[in-house]
Amino acid sequence: MTVFHFFNCAILTFGPHAVYYSATPLSEYDTLGTSVKAALVYLGTALVKELLKALIGFIDVAGLYFALTQLTHRNISQNHKFQAVGLGWAFADSVLHRLAPLWVGARGLEFTWDYLLQGLEANANLVLSISLAALGSLMWLRKNKPKTLIPIIYACAGIVATMPSITSYLRRGLGWQFPKVVGFELFTSLVMAFISWQLFSACQRPSA
Amino acid sequence: MAHRKARERDMLDSVYSMLALVFILVACVELCDAATVVDVYRLIQYDISGVPFGSRLASLNHHAGSLHFSPGADLSRTVVMIPVRELNISFVTEYVSRKHPLGGMLFLLPEIFRLENGGGGKDVREKEVVKNVLLELEKLLVHAKLPYPVYFAFENDEIDAVLDDVKKNDATGQPATATTGGYKLVIPIAEPKKVASPTITNIQGWLQGLKADGDANQLPTIAIVASYDTFGAAPALSVGSDSNGSGVVALLEVARLFSLLYSNPKTRGRYNILFGLTSGGPYNYNGTHKWLRSFDQRLRESIDYAICLNSVGSWNNELWIHVSKPPENAYIKQIFEGFTNVAEELGFKVGLKHKKINISNPRVAWEHEQFSRLRVTAATLSELSAAPELLESTGGLHFVDETSFIRSVQLVAESLARHIYGYQGKNIQIFADNSSLAVNPSYIRSWLDLLSQTPRVAPFISKNDPFIMALKKELADHTDEVIMQHEVLDGMFTFYDSTKASLNIYQVASVTFDLLLLLVLGSYLIVLFSFLVITTRGLDDLISLFRRPPSRKVEVSQEKLANDNYECVMV
Repeated sequence: MTVFHFFNCAILTFGPHAVYYSATPLSEYDTLGTSVKAALVYLGTALVKELLKALIGFIDVAGLYFALTQLTHRNISQNHKFQAVGLGWAFADSVLHRLAPLWVGARGLEFTWDYLLQGLEANANLVLSISLAALGSLMWLRKNKPKTLIPIIYACAGIVATMPSITSYLRRGLGWQFPKVVGFELFTSLVMAFISWQLFSACQRPSA
Repeated sequence: MAHRKARERDMLDSVYSMLALVFILVACVELCDAATVVDVYRLIQYDISGVPFGSRLASLNHHAGSLHFSPGADLSRTVVMIPVRELNISFVTEYVSRKHPLGGMLFLLPEIFRLENGGGGKDVREKEVVKNVLLELEKLLVHAKLPYPVYFAFENDEIDAVLDDVKKNDATGQPATATTGGYKLVIPIAEPKKVASPTITNIQGWLQGLKADGDANQLPTIAIVASYDTFGAAPALSVGSDSNGSGVVALLEVARLFSLLYSNPKTRGRYNILFGLTSGGPYNYNGTHKWLRSFDQRLRESIDYAICLNSVGSWNNELWIHVSKPPENAYIKQIFEGFTNVAEELGFKVGLKHKKINISNPRVAWEHEQFSRLRVTAATLSELSAAPELLESTGGLHFVDETSFIRSVQLVAESLARHIYGYQGKNIQIFADNSSLAVNPSYIRSWLDLLSQTPRVAPFISKNDPFIMALKKELADHTDEVIMQHEVLDGMFTFYDSTKASLNIYQVASVTFDLLLLLVLGSYLIVLFSFLVITTRGLDDLISLFRRPPSRKVEVSQEKLANDNYECVMV
């Protein structure tokens, strides 16, 4: 019986397209080819849209690239440049996303752990931003890198860049509670910081 | 260089001003951040001749506590949450009589008492037990003076969870104060003000009798009266299904039956029937007094007798007729005999109680006494065998038993009809069951339902309250010449407003917690600082931060310059 229902819904959904084609003069002028080509173009655009949605987090990377390479800085060493950029990046992120909720929520009588967890998240975010800035500076500012390390650098940079989408998937898709998510963020930020520190010092050694 | 600096400063300024604007906007948004918001109903606050009674305060801002507090704890800044289901009345009695200082009381009523759930039927036995406790509690609270806020609320899941938490906290022995966290109960409400000129409204309707041709005299009148207002511990919950909802519904049903008879001139009796719905019942029947005063002398003299109805809905096998004239009086005998005959036929007893009235005593225990004081023969039909005290049995939580109520209505209607049509002593049933004049159970049920969901404490209902309008319309359907009389309640009673409020329950962290957190965060930041200094600059720099002799400053800055140059070279 349910197949019947499927059939009914299908003819409601797809029927009008066939009916329109056959009822109007379109069928006489053999316009099927045009419709098919338009459908294929739609598939292409849909793929592009989905790709963009998945990679929207990489605008972060573009922004960091801009901040690291294009802005004119005072004559400071590479070592300090990425730290300063990462620091500014993380501070702006915290202010934009966390100050307003803090102001509105944490001043009330009602006590929740949310704002403390949010603060811990800000800490993790700082570490992550600095790691990303370090990897970014490795990728774009350092010219002579050991060949073997290059893929690792890019891989780590990719992981750190997609961290926001990973956490949002954990929160919404898997339904993790806020404390668990914050714990995960802290852990991964320390791990990524360690890895990027090792990478940075490894790249620094040849030129020393 | 200067251009850049100026541009930077402008950008910073604009950013700051935007941020400031955002802060201001956000600060103006009042978000409700309470864990729970509950509707609560305040204990009544009133004065009798200047003597204060009831709960004297309305606003609340204290920590929540339960009954499991350690003995000797200071509760002057605690609100005690008491579920009525587990109430130990002796605790409340002790607290009230010894005048212990208390932050406030919050009584939690079981969900089944909610007005929307109606009366009777479900879980009657459970209701019985709680009902009795409630009646005792009401009696205690209404006659005591409590210098702190007392509120009633209905149980729901959230409040139950809060109460469980509070009990757990109390069990650990720590009273909830500012330093130990817990829950805070806040009711932000203004100070209660006196209700200026509380109005009482009496509604009357006439059924004109048949005047014989050529008869110049005025027809005699029989009056049926019931008071419709209530008084209880929580004015927003005082519905009084039995006292005196039953009286009101009985009056309406009798009016409907007689209007059927009087609509046809062939069956119209030779008596006028006056129906009166009076207010001010709990206050020495003040409304009845003012209503009678408004009659002119002739009308008063033409009243043969008046029957007052008071709580006729939940009795077992005996009703009482209360009179103030001595039983030997001929009129009283006649009335009593009429009632007894009908009662015998219906299968129950009617007793006669005589209570003398003391003119000098302002206390009026029964409605008929107001008639007697103006020399009109009157009696009260009631299931109560003894006169209630002032402000007792005036709107409590009795539920009406339909079968006994129908029998009361039949008693009144039959006895009246036999008197009017002269069939005393004869075995004729005018309002027989299954006839077109039978008592209509669905009519009774629907009105009883309405009355059991309408709180009607007189000072808090205005002249044009929908309920009063409904009564007027209903009486107008059955009678002619419906008149409403608005009076001001006797000055002896003063009432205060603020009967309903919203309670906010906040879960608060203690001051200790905040200080501890500050300590932890401070040490975390210090550790972080030292860690970063050590890893990036070296342990010596950390130590040097604490020494900081003036000569070292110059050396340090020179060192830094050297380091920077070195790093530039490295890059």
